[in-house]
Amino acid sequence: MLRHDVVIVGAGLAGLRTCVELRKKGIDAIIVSKVYPTRSHSGAAQGGVNAAFDENDSWESHFFDTVKGSDYLGDQDAIEILTSEASANILELQKMGVVFNRNAAGGIAQRPFGGQSFPRSCYYADAVGHMMLHGLFDNVLKYNTKILYEYFVTSLVVDDGKVSGIVAYDIKNGRFEGISAKAVLFATGGYGQVYSSNTNALINTGDGMAVSIKAGIPLMDMEFVQFHPTTLKSTGILVTEGARGEGAYLLNSLGVRFMSKYAPKTMELAPRDLVARAEQTEINEGRGVDGAILLDVRHLGKERIMEKLPQIMQLSIDFEGVNPIYEPIPIRPGAHYSMGGIKTDNNCRTIIRGFYSAGESACVSVHGANRLGGNSLLDTVVFGRRAGIDIAEYIKGAVYGKFDESILKRDEEIFENLKESSGKERHGLLKAELQEEMRADVGVFREEIAMKKAIEKIEGLKERAKNIGIDDKSKTFNTDIVEAFEFNNILLMAEVIARGAVSRKESRGAHYRTDFPERDDTNWLKHTLATLDDKGNIKFDFSNVSISKFEPKPRTY
Amino acid sequence: MEFKVKVYRFNPEFDDKPYYKDYVLEDFPGMTVLNALISIKSEIDGTLSFRRSCRSAICGSCAMKINGISKLACKTQVGPEIEKFGIIKIDPLSNMPIIRDLVVEQEGFFDKIKEIQPYLMGKSNVGEHADDFHALKEGEKITQPVFFKSEFRNLTGNNDTPNCILCECCYSECGGVTGNKDYLGPAALAKLYRYSEDPRDNDKNGTRLVNGSKPNRMWDCVHCQACEEFCPKGISPVKSIVKLHEKAIKNSINFSNGAKHIISIAKSIGETGGLDEIKVALDTGGITGLISDLPMAFGAGLKGKIPPIRLKLIKDMEDIRLAYKILDLEEK
Repeated sequence: MLRHDVVIVGAGLAGLRTCVELRKKGIDAIIVSKVYPTRSHSGAAQGGVNAAFDENDSWESHFFDTVKGSDYLGDQDAIEILTSEASANILELQKMGVVFNRNAAGGIAQRPFGGQSFPRSCYYADAVGHMMLHGLFDNVLKYNTKILYEYFVTSLVVDDGKVSGIVAYDIKNGRFEGISAKAVLFATGGYGQVYSSNTNALINTGDGMAVSIKAGIPLMDMEFVQFHPTTLKSTGILVTEGARGEGAYLLNSLGVRFMSKYAPKTMELAPRDLVARAEQTEINEGRGVDGAILLDVRHLGKERIMEKLPQIMQLSIDFEGVNPIYEPIPIRPGAHYSMGGIKTDNNCRTIIRGFYSAGESACVSVHGANRLGGNSLLDTVVFGRRAGIDIAEYIKGAVYGKFDESILKRDEEIFENLKESSGKERHGLLKAELQEEMRADVGVFREEIAMKKAIEKIEGLKERAKNIGIDDKSKTFNTDIVEAFEFNNILLMAEVIARGAVSRKESRGAHYRTDFPERDDTNWLKHTLATLDDKGNIKFDFSNVSISKFEPKPRTY
Repeated sequence: MEFKVKVYRFNPEFDDKPYYKDYVLEDFPGMTVLNALISIKSEIDGTLSFRRSCRSAICGSCAMKINGISKLACKTQVGPEIEKFGIIKIDPLSNMPIIRDLVVEQEGFFDKIKEIQPYLMGKSNVGEHADDFHALKEGEKITQPVFFKSEFRNLTGNNDTPNCILCECCYSECGGVTGNKDYLGPAALAKLYRYSEDPRDNDKNGTRLVNGSKPNRMWDCVHCQACEEFCPKGISPVKSIVKLHEKAIKNSINFSNGAKHIISIAKSIGETGGLDEIKVALDTGGITGLISDLPMAFGAGLKGKIPPIRLKLIKDMEDIRLAYKILDLEEK
């Protein structure tokens, strides 16, 4: 049994940012991550991180844009924090060693992004997530942080409403470890692997959210899944919104910039929910090109593409066989971001004392029903930092809780039984079935009958999952069993998403119901809270949205 | 089209020694080696272990040897490999202990990254506002420190070291690491260079370059260029290492044998146009170094390779002097 004051699970941007905050104060905080930190999916973020720096821009404008972008479901007190702390956070990152491209005046260069009324996305070419992730990781090394590499979290240990630690599986050595802690932070990322066509890493399986809901912590607004408008047709790999920020066009099979029909004012730089739906409509109505839309950057010229979008150019060549300097890139919408997550307050606290969450795994909520591009990286650092500050205060008066070792034994048994199972189902194939079903029936456009079909499918998969067989009986780096566990996590996430989507009878942000195409503020201006009952069935409660400054208005672009 | 994948397998729990296992797959247009491994694992053989994450060449998880070369499986297409080799043969990365199958122990690699102090040092010079963290009040604007694009040269280009994803391909191909397990290797040293070039760095005492000049660090590079050749992100660590050498010498950090060696060579050529090997050996390692080189010198002598005791000036000495003048090397 290990014992540390603070355990941070997940080593993407939010986890690392919290860690730096704690370690620079000399606090005994460790990182537990199922991959080496630099493998985290934050590194794949490409386009930018938002903050108002220009003298003609203001954080209040960023505040309003984010509220409007969220389709008024974002909590305004939280969004006020996000946007008023944005610039200071970016400067702090810069101080820590993160490099941003420069403008002519020697400030941080900024590009336009969807749904933002001013060019306020700070960037490092088209690899700003990579730059921030490595910069923060370097700082974690600076403060000599203990890292448990390749440990997979399986349970949260709670004692009388207070966190007392976690249980994790040491993948390399095939053994379970209990880690007793005064405070635990989950910065475990999203669940993009629920969908077949997605931009996410294979590791994004909603592990932290699954562990949390099983420990009795509500997940909020899980039905809101962002579909990114520009992902490579064949693989779903992300093509940054920064491409459109630099001036790229979206074309249909007739060569028409069809966004003029859907968002005449903002065109390609409308928010993601709107652009994704516009594309899907064009494809559904027969104006797609082999099931895709074309993203055209040719008019930007070779030099600008190579300077500002080098990664996109390389990805298009390597993964789609298309050189964007000479040909438009075939793209389509793909699952990208989880607006929902573990319900937290503005200091990242959950309903369990000492248990925190930040980043994509959390739902504060600053993104509401639709996140604006460039706000997720901002979310990770603003709230990662806040979590660190709050945890540092919290642990001063906290003591270690009672660590119920039967939870560790229970997890060991689950793994052991699963490993010994000789069932005929293969989790890799079940996962593919689940992902395809979710794409088809709980995707960009949703409708009751199709979603009920998806729920039926999920029920069937839950039964079949009991029959999963594991080929690998080894204790050494057994990824077969880890993947089986991850499959169970995405299966649970899929069910929460689908049931939440059925229950929300309106269209708002990324959640679009063809059978309820209007936003319904009278009945549905509220957060969905999902928990599990004693039998493991999902049940829903609702909570109010914080509206401090901006009354909901129709949302047009 | 059917094709064969030959995969290195080893599980220390069950296997006395490594072996290769063959799998037959059907390809599809654009299929990558990672796609192939995933379909083996999910459909044929769940016991095959490998790392993978982003599948878009940015996380660095799936580096492995494909037909003998360290590459990212996610961006290596099956088609061209089959065309060239007729098979996909996969091995774990070299220069690292093998945990199992294609999974290597990376902790040592990351420890080496930590050794080069990968962060800004000294009192940071990022401007007066940096310590003044606060949420903006209504109507309040923030001013930011000024840094021009030119100050970040070598840090913001597409092939510059900050784009390194720490995938370990260079480390796996590095001849220096193969010969000396304690050598830091290209990725760590490129990172050292990256921080030494940062305009915000305030390492006044040259701590970073001094540390980087210790044994097993920048002067242990054998200049084989493999790191540049095999980098999947088009970065050249060896160029960074050479620039580190220049920086160290410019800053008179020449206590290491590597620096002494280079200085002595430059001096010898500048004086005579030829290489006075005995003098270079003496300057580099001192008397003890010279004595320890004796067996090698004796061996070379037996093969008829005896360096001249006294060098004659070469006839184009004027050209060399001119070159030194242009390169501003006369003083040094």
